[in-house]
Amino acid sequence: MTTEWINLLKSAYKTCLNQDGRCKVHYTFPNKDEMAEEYSLGNYQLMVRKWRRKTTGLTGVESWKYEVGEPLNPAMVLQAETLRENINNPIFMRLDKKEHFQWRIRNLPYSLNTYDITVGDDKNQITVRTTNKKYYKKFFIPDMERLGLSLDDSSLAFNHANDTLIISYKKPEEVLDLERMVRAELKKVKDDGDICEIPGQVCCVT
Amino acid sequence: MAAPTAQKVQEIREVTRIERIGAHSHIRGLGLNDGLEARDVSQGMVGQAKARRAAGIIMEMIKEGKIAGRAILIAGQPGSGKTAIAMGMAQALGVDTQFTSIAGSEIFSLEMSKTEALTQAFRKSIGVRIKEETEIIEGEVVEIQIDRPATGTGAKVGKLTLKTTEMETIYDLGQKMIESLTKEKVQAGDIITIDKATGKISKLGRSFTRARDYDAMGPQTRFVQCPEGELQKRKEVVHTVTLHEIDVINSRTQGFLALFSGDTGEIKSEVREQINAKVAEWREEGKAEIVPGVLFIDEVHMLDIECFSFLNRALESDMAPVLVMATNRGITRIRGTQYQSPHGIPIDLLDRLLIISTSPYEDKEIRQILKIRCEEEDVEMSDDALTVLTRIGMETSLRYAIQLITTASLVSRKRKSTEVDVDDIKRVYSLFLDESRSTQFLKEYQQAFMFNEISSDTMDTS
Repeated sequence: MTTEWINLLKSAYKTCLNQDGRCKVHYTFPNKDEMAEEYSLGNYQLMVRKWRRKTTGLTGVESWKYEVGEPLNPAMVLQAETLRENINNPIFMRLDKKEHFQWRIRNLPYSLNTYDITVGDDKNQITVRTTNKKYYKKFFIPDMERLGLSLDDSSLAFNHANDTLIISYKKPEEVLDLERMVRAELKKVKDDGDICEIPGQVCCVT
Repeated sequence: MAAPTAQKVQEIREVTRIERIGAHSHIRGLGLNDGLEARDVSQGMVGQAKARRAAGIIMEMIKEGKIAGRAILIAGQPGSGKTAIAMGMAQALGVDTQFTSIAGSEIFSLEMSKTEALTQAFRKSIGVRIKEETEIIEGEVVEIQIDRPATGTGAKVGKLTLKTTEMETIYDLGQKMIESLTKEKVQAGDIITIDKATGKISKLGRSFTRARDYDAMGPQTRFVQCPEGELQKRKEVVHTVTLHEIDVINSRTQGFLALFSGDTGEIKSEVREQINAKVAEWREEGKAEIVPGVLFIDEVHMLDIECFSFLNRALESDMAPVLVMATNRGITRIRGTQYQSPHGIPIDLLDRLLIISTSPYEDKEIRQILKIRCEEEDVEMSDDALTVLTRIGMETSLRYAIQLITTASLVSRKRKSTEVDVDDIKRVYSLFLDESRSTQFLKEYQQAFMFNEISSDTMDTS
């Protein structure tokens, strides 16, 4: 499973540049899906990973979906046709640490014992429940799915402070290995210092 | 208190919308049983057992959707139920299959060429079923709060609280959203879904938890369970659009707005080719499915030779719908030529057609149809009157007899009776001439009419 994902990354058409202290990589996969990643330059920590998938084409282009990182939207303007979530509603995002997958849910004022966080029965998703029935969320860890790994309750930890619920899941060895491989793949061609856009090769503008 | 009462009254009026009664509004299907045998009287259809059975077999072919570009001709004399059979087919196919109905003379327009009009009609009858994933919000309304600004003008602000069994979320509402929520009369306790991309709201019903309330509610109020899990869900939706609609959306700069204004004009063949290629691509990727529909051309003898040769060619395309045509002509001149041909259709096209013929109605059947029409038009009629009317129907025409129903009912109402009697029929029979009596009258009094001195041939109506 590990090789499948890394091969897909290798076959993608990649461009990257260093900007604002981040290395930004853009992948275009053979099926025309797009993925963009941002790594911090110091410790090569993944800051952002977002996806834009191809649609049927009747409803126009899909917007970027964030898998990791905080969406940069300036306060979304309320358009006449639509509705938006009130700004006081909980905001869910994933911000990884070196050894952990980590999620932050802001605007959750309830105390720690309100939350019930478990790995679902099918071992592929995490469920957040609240005893006062105010918040509920089911989410997957795409990194684990790509490797075909199932989740384990014992790796799960959570904490609550400043109206924020922080959920951590310890990365298993396989994920750490994969990240090392990806990092090596990105670094390998980094020294070239030229703009190149050859499919299947990484390039960097320094 | 006066204002709310007035509002209530208006609401009730909206519910009991009057549907107009058309010539074929009593037809709800072909009236066949599972073995495709025609029932005597069913779904508004009477008699014509053979033709209906034939139509039923064609229907099966359409439903399977495999065979494209077949054509059927329904031939028969006026008033023998040709359009009724076509309508029955449309009803039986349901909303999933496109059914386009045009009259032969509709294609003659100054704005677009005949073939363009025919192509558009063809493409209107081909549906494309597209699967798409969209984000929807599904939940029970806890609270809906709409604030009008104190000055009375300016934008309204609104808040909507939705919940599932597990969670609750507050939404800020935009202007249009407020309007559509008020239009749908969404209240606390309703279960609604909102399509996030389009903002379309649909009401699923009332929550079971509110079932105890002693509210006045209509018989159509449905109770549903409060949804579970997350409020926002990704759902695969399937919608059907016609090829014509895709053409229009892609052919103009103003895009889909042209669909609503009806101002489509001619569509370039390059656009069509592109769309065909695109649709074929979707089909291969499994994103779309072609649903061939039915194009019904009534009074097909009104088409001219160019249209017929175009049809010959168009039927060979693998994107062609099933073509159903109806005509009431026998051997007559093909429009645009000097040649005579059966049904006014060239032999080469006739060769590609399956022909269903309808026969004149028997008196029992006419009686049954008149009875159905009486029910449809809400007219009570005595048995004697019905017998007389059936007699009139046999001797003149079915259409004339049907016309007499409404007029006779008006006459009977004038004498404050609830039932139409023989006298009422007699009265309207003397008031309104049927076609043969009118001809007779003209023959007798020809001398008194204008321009009678000019000896002329009979009018050319083909």
